[in-house]
Amino acid sequence: MPSDVERWKSEVYGTEIREHLFRFAEAGWDAIPDDERDAWFERFKWWGLYHQRKGQESYFMLRIGTPNGVLEPGQTDVVAEVAAEYATGPAANPIFGDGYVDWTTRQSIQLHWINLEDVPAIFERLESVGLSTRQACGDSWRNVVGCPVAGKDRHEHVDALALAHELHETYKGHEEHSNLPRKWKVSVTGCREGCGQGDINDLAFEPATKSIDGEAVRGFNVRVGGGLARNEPRFARDLDVFVTPGEAAAVGGAISALFRDHGDREDRFSARMKFLVDEWGPGKIRRVLEDEYVDGELKTAGEDLRGDYSYNSGYATGGHADHVGVHEQVDGTYYVGLNVLVGRMGAGDTRELARLADEYGSGEVRITQRQNVVVTDVPESELDDLLDEPLLDDYSPDPNPFTRGSVACTGTEFCSLSIVETKNRQVRYARWLKENVELPDGVDDFHVHLSGCTASCAQPQIADVSLRGMKTRKDGEAVEALDIGLGGGLGEDPRFASWVRQRVPADEVPGAIANLLSGFAEHREDGESFRAFVERHEDDEAFLAELCAPEETDYEDPMLHNTKLTWYPYADDDGMDASPAPAHPDGSPVATDD
Amino acid sequence: MSDRILRVNAYTTFDTLDAEAQGHGFAESALAVLDVTAPREDPREVTLALELDNASLSTLPAHADRVRLSAAEARELAAELERYAGRVEAAAEE
Repeated sequence: MPSDVERWKSEVYGTEIREHLFRFAEAGWDAIPDDERDAWFERFKWWGLYHQRKGQESYFMLRIGTPNGVLEPGQTDVVAEVAAEYATGPAANPIFGDGYVDWTTRQSIQLHWINLEDVPAIFERLESVGLSTRQACGDSWRNVVGCPVAGKDRHEHVDALALAHELHETYKGHEEHSNLPRKWKVSVTGCREGCGQGDINDLAFEPATKSIDGEAVRGFNVRVGGGLARNEPRFARDLDVFVTPGEAAAVGGAISALFRDHGDREDRFSARMKFLVDEWGPGKIRRVLEDEYVDGELKTAGEDLRGDYSYNSGYATGGHADHVGVHEQVDGTYYVGLNVLVGRMGAGDTRELARLADEYGSGEVRITQRQNVVVTDVPESELDDLLDEPLLDDYSPDPNPFTRGSVACTGTEFCSLSIVETKNRQVRYARWLKENVELPDGVDDFHVHLSGCTASCAQPQIADVSLRGMKTRKDGEAVEALDIGLGGGLGEDPRFASWVRQRVPADEVPGAIANLLSGFAEHREDGESFRAFVERHEDDEAFLAELCAPEETDYEDPMLHNTKLTWYPYADDDGMDASPAPAHPDGSPVATDD
Repeated sequence: MSDRILRVNAYTTFDTLDAEAQGHGFAESALAVLDVTAPREDPREVTLALELDNASLSTLPAHADRVRLSAAEARELAAELERYAGRVEAAAEE
């Protein structure tokens, strides 16, 4: 028997949801019958709308998918405009104010406090410049991710941007691929540094070279079945398939079709591609793919470049660990990667970013999987003036390692799943660490990822320090806490973090990281990266746990209480009973039967 | 130590409970996660799952325990819990 979600999808799904969305926008949020809300909210995801959490009824998060993280000239300004006009709520965030943009780990954009009634106007504004929320969420092809400087990167082996665009154009809105058993995350990497993070995607194209008829052909190897959620993390498995750039989109569609037909539609918790790969193994996936879904024989894998992968690897290989900083492009101009702490930028700053991109570059902005932004195509003659711009004081191309390495998910501020505050907390952590902790000599990159629950949206398992939301008791009170893992990262041989501490009270985590880094400095071998240090000690859990001893410091955490029980953690009166939701776009309350 | 086995999010029934594990010759205490759930699709049973924090365990390996209850069994359990909760509350008021 199919799940409720599958039943709802069988009734209305895909492109046709839009007309219903607009119908409800016209009639108002309260026109959605109470007993149909779950069904409609599930369907709205296909058009990029997630209903916010309890206490925030009638407000939505809106996600805009930007393929490969590329914002074309003119688009960034429209994102800022929409955020300023529509992403405003009944209470402000104490750090970020009201009306802000979140750059996400899947190179997309999220706006909050969106009213359903405003959606048609928002879609019209976004679509006027070629932006779309279509399939940003839901059970289909999500935003295709990749190396954010694809097509411009000096380290590029094969052009990944062309394939990312081809996949986007072919499969977004494709009837045969619009209703899959579960989300379908695709990554295209063309560079030598592994910036596409293919290992954590359902389908990954990775740069490779294959000798065909005596000629060395550049293209992609294919991996399948990666993903981090549900305490069941998997790295993508090697399918032993090579595709030329011309073949890649068709093979990608064939694998999507295989997943559509054979993925588990009975149990959503076991529906992701990773579980089908667990069940069948890469060999059977390859065999069925070749027998039933592609024309002709598949080529065996080519020679890969994984030995050079440096992106978010935790190893000091000399390659990029991120895209922050000034880097020369293949055409002789430069890209300037700006660090956006936890990926959140006010609408005013986003508008200023658009202006800088227009004035100094081509107008293009790109989003990275580390929640940062990149201004591309800056001539050398313009670099100094760009670097002198005041905006770069707050979004630095040369930031402190702790702000540079921070990634955080949405958390209890808006998310239905999270059990702890995340973004603001990670800002406070990064600022405290910057003021109080030194990294050992030669350690330039140190990644701390904070996720509010086991859904793992901040990709916690692939960071130097992995923080994941939990609860504990302290002085007799329930407080927000974090589990701590160490030594995760991607690279040639990706590794999930080793979990060493459970339920560390959130106000003792900065002290734990300070102690950890002090111990690392003391016990480190010459030139050893943090990940290598953890790997050297991975059989001595007690030692790693002891290094990471929790400690109270002068760090104070104003959100130690149970923020998921508030209607909004930063409201003056944050009790659930004080919630102004549901509300009309003008803020007036929607009458309810309660 | 290992990663948690049960997923923990805002829908988890209890993320912080006191728990004990007892065996022949050992007894361990830890904080624990207790979750009551039923499948979203075609639910035919109620699942009750318990996981003690494995960081606090020295004898037992990381694990979670699950029991599966029919609807009737789940109601019987709920009634028992209700009855004993009443006794605890009554005792507290004395």
